Amino acid sequence: MDSLPHLLSGFAAAMSPANLAYAFAGCLFGTLIGVLPGVGPAAGTAILIPLTFKLDPTGAIIMLAAIYYGAMYGGTITSVLINVPGEAASVITCIDGHQMAKQGRGGTALGIAAIGSFIGGMAATIALVLVAPPLAKFALSFGPPEFFALMLLGLCLVSGLAGRSLSAALMMTMLGLLVSMIGIDPVRGAPRFAFGIADLYDGLGIVPVVMGLYGIAEILITAERPVQEIIRTKFSGLLPSRDEWRRSWGAIARGTGIGFFLGLIPGIGSIVPTFMAYIAEKRISKTPERFGKGAIEGVAAPETANNAYANAAMVPFLTLGIPSSPTIAVLMGAFIINGLTPGPFLFQERPDLVWTVIASFFIGNLLLLILNLPLVGLWAKILHVPFKYLAVGILLLCIMGAYSLQQSAFDVWVMIGCGVVGYLLRKLDLPLAPLVLGLILGPALEKSMRTSLEMSAGDFSIFATRPLCLGLLIAAGVVVVGAAFKLAPRQLRDSEAQV
Amino acid sequence: MTAVSGSHRIVERIVLGCLGVLFAAMAATAYGYGLKDRLGPGSGFFPFWLGVIGTVLTVSLLVLSLRGGSIGEGGEAAWPNRAGAVRAVTLFAGLVAAALVFEPLGFRLTAFAFTALLLVALGVRRPVVIALFALISGFGLFHVFYYWLKVPLPFGALGF
Repeated sequence: MDSLPHLLSGFAAAMSPANLAYAFAGCLFGTLIGVLPGVGPAAGTAILIPLTFKLDPTGAIIMLAAIYYGAMYGGTITSVLINVPGEAASVITCIDGHQMAKQGRGGTALGIAAIGSFIGGMAATIALVLVAPPLAKFALSFGPPEFFALMLLGLCLVSGLAGRSLSAALMMTMLGLLVSMIGIDPVRGAPRFAFGIADLYDGLGIVPVVMGLYGIAEILITAERPVQEIIRTKFSGLLPSRDEWRRSWGAIARGTGIGFFLGLIPGIGSIVPTFMAYIAEKRISKTPERFGKGAIEGVAAPETANNAYANAAMVPFLTLGIPSSPTIAVLMGAFIINGLTPGPFLFQERPDLVWTVIASFFIGNLLLLILNLPLVGLWAKILHVPFKYLAVGILLLCIMGAYSLQQSAFDVWVMIGCGVVGYLLRKLDLPLAPLVLGLILGPALEKSMRTSLEMSAGDFSIFATRPLCLGLLIAAGVVVVGAAFKLAPRQLRDSEAQV
Repeated sequence: MTAVSGSHRIVERIVLGCLGVLFAAMAATAYGYGLKDRLGPGSGFFPFWLGVIGTVLTVSLLVLSLRGGSIGEGGEAAWPNRAGAVRAVTLFAGLVAAALVFEPLGFRLTAFAFTALLLVALGVRRPVVIALFALISGFGLFHVFYYWLKVPLPFGALGF
């Protein structure tokens, strides 16, 4: 149990007044961002990166991680009260959560979501403590071919599970990878696709791209919609009744398991676990006809799975350097801004930082529960602020966030351009997640492939002669072929299609 | 919101056409960087093949679209009605205008004008609310981010 002393010292650092304040502020801002219509966790985390500029790397990462899982919870509030998911993972919560709100049980829906999120998040973080160190140790034995195969598998999973159209998802992956090629060649150091424009030598930053694709595009799409009716609900009865507890505990346990195990798979996305948890509950329920009419299990299971997934997704991110979702890709960007590279070497080189951040996950989950149960009424009030005020404020924060990264107006234009692209792609129903993950994994994928080929003097058989690499490549092939022939479970594909 | 399938098809084909041209152009440019060098694959190797695969996928989707098939995830695109489109275009125009004057005018004046003008354009008619909100956006936000959080923000020619 090598992890325990590290974790304890992590707790000591995470419980310093400053780090507690960062975690608290992160949870607060994250929930606020999640509540705001038109800003999901990816754009929200990107917009709030400037808040961390003054902080040391540990404080910055603690705050951004708290923003991430705060935003994951915040999306639930809009799902329940206005039937609009604050982020894609909350889509399924709308079904029963909104029905509960209509029946005057909105407080209970939000209460069980907060409790389920807390339990799922805590359980997943305990599992993270157990799984991450051996996995990081194992990953240290990986060479460039294995990393190449692993990243390829992650991208294939994103493309294969991104929806009904494999071709469209693959095209978006190619676009992301190709856009990531802009800038300096990571192996030879020569500029590519820069066309003499100095701003392009560093490539397109992940943060302005995500702000544009998810933030600006979503604001424009939300602005188009008619005003949503907000359900006025009681917030006095946040805790479930005894009967509701009896119905919920199994759903929370199953949601935790589903969320955690799916979170370990790079590229699975946050929607699949919530849909799988919901479907599992409906399948095993003796009264499935209650689902869709305000069944509390229909809120407890997906919300628990959502937060368990969010914490479990940190495993491939921290140990292998592979982001599972666009939001974690933004988090990866924040690591890089702070001079840190997620992956197995981070556990070796900066154990103080890694374990403090992991300890902060426990504290953050607790803070989120403390914050959300009493403040749920306040969050609901934010929904009454007319969208025009929120939209203007959010756009201003986007401009400020994009500019402040490098004090460059170029990044603001990148964000605006990506906003137009994101708007069109959303309208054409093309998935954005493969594009973003392609963009963030592109340079590392290329570097590992070219380094592998240099090791073998250009001989591609290097990928077939190393058993682990071969196994991962076969798995990647199986995912793509399976998606091409629609071999994935129908519910899995249908759930992702609703992104 | 209504789905306009004819317009949707046109937009779909224009976007696919642009993507196809982009992929092909990047593949051609990458070819120029060299697919091989003395150490193995050259600078152009990876982007060349990405461009080629991207072009093939885009062309296949374009053919699918021309045959009347669905290229996306199967959902129905919801294009806005007139009022919705006006709101979205207003916000976007404001964003572009703010990006243009952000550096020459400085953050404070840009944010003040951006907020006030957009709120008026979006139908807010209460001068006190507009002024208050614009002041908070322009000067309040600047103070918090520039002085407290040390976020670098531009000063314009007028010193704001």
